[in-house]
This record gives sequence, C-alpha cells and structure tokens, in this order.
Amino acid sequence: MWRYLGERDLSNAWSAGKVKERIVQFKKWVMGLSVRTITRPKAFQKPGHLCLHLLQMAFLQMCNLPVRVVCRANAEYMSPSGKVPFIHVGNQVVSELGPIVQFVKAKGHSLSDGLDEVQKAEMKAYMELVNNMLLTAELYLQWCDDVTVEEITHPRYGSPYPWPLNRILAYQKQWEIRRKMKAIGWAGKSLEQVLEDVDQCCQALSQRLGTQPYFFNKQPTELDALVFGHLFTILTTQLTTDELSEKVKNYGNLTAFCRRIEQQYFEGHDKDNSGTAAPRSAKRSLLR
Amino acid sequence: MAAPMELSCWGGDWGLPSLHPESLTVMAYAKFSGAPLTVNTINNSWRTPKGDIPVLISEDIVISQPAKILNFLRKQKYNADYELSAKQGADTLAYIALLEEKLLPALLHTFWVEAENYCSVTKPWFASRIPFPLSLYLPGKMSREALNRILLTKGGPPLYSLSEVEAQIYRDAKECLNLLSKRLGTSQFFFGNTPTTLDAFVFGFLAPVYKVCFPRVQLQEHLKQLPNLCRFCDDILTCYFRLTISDPALIISLQMDDNLRKSPQHPPRKLTTLKLAAGGEESPLNRLSP
Repeated sequence: MWRYLGERDLSNAWSAGKVKERIVQFKKWVMGLSVRTITRPKAFQKPGHLCLHLLQMAFLQMCNLPVRVVCRANAEYMSPSGKVPFIHVGNQVVSELGPIVQFVKAKGHSLSDGLDEVQKAEMKAYMELVNNMLLTAELYLQWCDDVTVEEITHPRYGSPYPWPLNRILAYQKQWEIRRKMKAIGWAGKSLEQVLEDVDQCCQALSQRLGTQPYFFNKQPTELDALVFGHLFTILTTQLTTDELSEKVKNYGNLTAFCRRIEQQYFEGHDKDNSGTAAPRSAKRSLLR
Repeated sequence: MAAPMELSCWGGDWGLPSLHPESLTVMAYAKFSGAPLTVNTINNSWRTPKGDIPVLISEDIVISQPAKILNFLRKQKYNADYELSAKQGADTLAYIALLEEKLLPALLHTFWVEAENYCSVTKPWFASRIPFPLSLYLPGKMSREALNRILLTKGGPPLYSLSEVEAQIYRDAKECLNLLSKRLGTSQFFFGNTPTTLDAFVFGFLAPVYKVCFPRVQLQEHLKQLPNLCRFCDDILTCYFRLTISDPALIISLQMDDNLRKSPQHPPRKLTTLKLAAGGEESPLNRLSP
C-alpha cells in the first residue's frame, strides 16, 4: 500500500481494489492492429472518469472501429499523460480525447471530414463550451460542494486505500481542485450559480441541436461523442441531489439524443457495464 | 431611463480605450448597445476600487465580472443581441468559451508572464496608474495570479516544464485566431452588420494583442497575418471609439484629449466624419482632404 506514496498525483486517478477484465477481441479492419481501451473497473470509477470512458467509446464506435475494453488496476500509471482511459494500438499508447482524435485521423478515420471550415470552427467552439462549463461544473459538484464531498466523493476516492492514506489523498485532491477553481474564478460561485451555468450550457446545446439527429447534419462528429459522454454521465450518476440531472432532463431533445446514441452505439450494454464477468463475444456488432 | 451607471476600469494607451481585455469587452458592449455608461479609468488615487476590475456601480448595486455586468445591462434593456436567433445565441456562448480556453492563457502570458514584456511594458504601465505603496505590490500579484492560472489550467502531464506549457498555449492561441478568422470571413461583424456580445468579447481579447507594442510579439505577428481580424478591430475602434489608426499625428492629439473620451454619450461616428473633423490639424492630414 505504501507504494502509492510518492507517486505523482494524477487527476481522475484512483486504482481499483478489484480488477475485472472483460476481453472483447477486436481487430481494426483496415490496419489489422488491435486497439485496446484500457480503463478502470466500473465500481471505482467516478463520474468524470466514466464520462471520459463513454465518450472515447462513443467516438471510436462512431468511427466504426471495434474496441476492446480492458480493465486494469494500474491503468493510470500505464497512461502517458496519467489520464484514463487511453487506447493501446499495436505498440502505441494514446490518451485523452484530443490526441486520440488526431491519432485516429492519421490512420484515415475522421468524423469531421464532411464539415466545411466554418462548421469545424463551430464544432471546436462547442467542444470548448462543454469542457469549460460542463466539465468544470462536474468537478465543482464533486469536490467543492460540501455535502457531496462528504457523502460520495471522499469515500469513493479513498476506498481502494487503507486508512490514513484514503483521507490524506482525498484531502490532497480536494485541495488541488479547489485551487484550480479559485484560479479560474469558480470558487466564489454558489451551487445555484453553477447549476444556472449548467442550465445555460444545456440550453445552448439544445438550441444548437434543435430537431436534428446529430449536431452537424446527419452524421455524428467528435462533438456528439463529447456531449454524449458528459450528458449521459450526468443523467445516470447518483449524487446526493438530482438537481444536476434535472437541469439536463428539462431539455427533451438532449435526453432523446443520449438515448439514441446509447441505443445505436452501445446496444445492449446500457448503463450497467459492470454486469457480467464472462467475456463478451468477439462478434459484437457495430452499427452506424 | 435607468439610474446613472458608472464603470471603473483600467485606462488605455496605444490607441485603445483600455488595455485590460475584460474592461475593453464591457466598454465595447456598452457602445454597441447604447448604454449610457460613465467610464472612470483608474488613476493614481486611492478612491478607485482595486478589487476585480471592471466594476459597474449603479445606485447601490456593485457588479464585478464582465458576464454579470453584461447581464445587468441586458436587464436594463440595453441588449445588443436583440436580433439574434436562439442558435446564434448558443454560438455566442460557444465562441466565448473558445476564447477563454484557448486565447486567454496566451494573452495572459504575453502581458504578465513573458519576462521581457512584463518588465519593460506591463509593470511600468500598471504601476504608474496605481498609488504608491500598492504599485510595488499589485502588479507582481497580478503576474503571479496569471502564471498560477496558466499552470493550473494548462500545466498538467504530459507537459512538465513551463516552456512546454508556453509552446502549447501559443499553439492553441494561434489555432483559435485561425478559427475566428474563418468564422468571420468577409462580413463586418460575426452576425451580420450589427455588432453583438460576441463582437464585444472578440474585440476585447484581440485589440490588446493587436495594438500594444511589446518586445516579444509572436501572437501579434500571427494576428497581423489575418487581415479580416485586423480590419474588424480597426473598424470598431474607428466607428465606436472615435479613434483612427491611420494617422499618428491624430492619435497624439486624441490622446491629449483623454478626458473627453471618457464620456460615451456619443452616437457611433463613421470614419469620414472623423477625417473632416480633424481637417484642421497638421500637414500630414491635408492629403486626406479632396
């Protein structure tokens, strides 16, 4: 247990007590390489991490690339940037959505090729909006709202470690997040203001989506994967209050969007990915 | 109509009404929406507020962040976004987020962290506008806060050293400028022919980069390669802030009239009016008259 001391503190990182491996065999049909997404077992994933996992999966599946999900206890130490999940292709390891998108694009798969320059600019702007508002709001809710911190975050974050390490690491992480919030000016915000920001962001996304099936034309793009990852996590994660998910549920087209992507790209998996211990079959179909 | 409103913000130089991006954003929005603001630039006196700048004071209400100030102005019926559709409103929010995430770190770095820029330009300029004992402390504090913000938001692994972080933030900022240029295209403002909140924010962030003369200017050089963004800034300066960039003699005489510039109760002036009004000045201007 003391080996964890001295390791650099990585954001979104905690290791699992139990390792559950689900091997889904897959081959990249063009290159013949195998791509593995490496992540942490569901039981110990915090909402932020789950959303990253989902949005990576969504993105890779939208590109029609079969993915194998592997859970490892030391996932965050294997990752080049310390962030999970990451993908492992052949002998390359790539983490974080931005680099993964670039990597997949270099291999010849891109979701945003059909967009013109102005649309690409818009897409990047909306992705920043989601990162700026939704991600920060999620972090705020987990680490700066005292009730949630006491009841949910500290126990989850510290659960793999023995006492007193669980308390020390949890407080250290909390202090780090609060420092970041202070630097960007969110420390002075109350919970109501944060929820209002989330509402504004969801309203903007809802207005942009309108009645279309995806944000840009009829094809999904990186933005769809990103929005799906965040919104799905918000809708399905249990916190002390339901206010955050209520804000999202106010916008019918956003919930319909999430459901549609879930059905189309994660068929059968639903929210409960931690279900079976039996390996999934290699023939999991990937539909567009 | 509404109670008199006072805005306290940092002053300007190099042809700009203010050097501070957030103050500039609020001033531009006030011009676009026609809000009657009295602008008090911070001078060397103890009475002006030193907290979050810009600050809007209206009767007893004190509001401090640009987003909140703009909301307040909208509630007072000074709304520059009145004609925008819902989707355009959503686009505004998205582009503002893009500016804050991608361009702001590089802007802060150019002003406050880059050693040569900070020591030769930023610190003396701000220190000269802050009363004596604070002028020794406050610029340093603002510099530390800027560095802190950059490192906390952009400085995680795999970027481990300050130079790697710097390279990344300048790459991001240049990409952001390219995206803005593509979005603006050939139109006068971002949403047609009337300026809106997005134009105010873009102007607020771009104009300091464009105009302030720093020793280290990689961002400014990149911006100058995007002529539509330069034209955008110049148009707003000439039409809404009664300043022209084309004539150094005129700029000097206008800077001497700094006090007059504080009162924003003037309708937007077009460039031709300004040239005629300045016709009585020195000889370089005579070639402007027909």
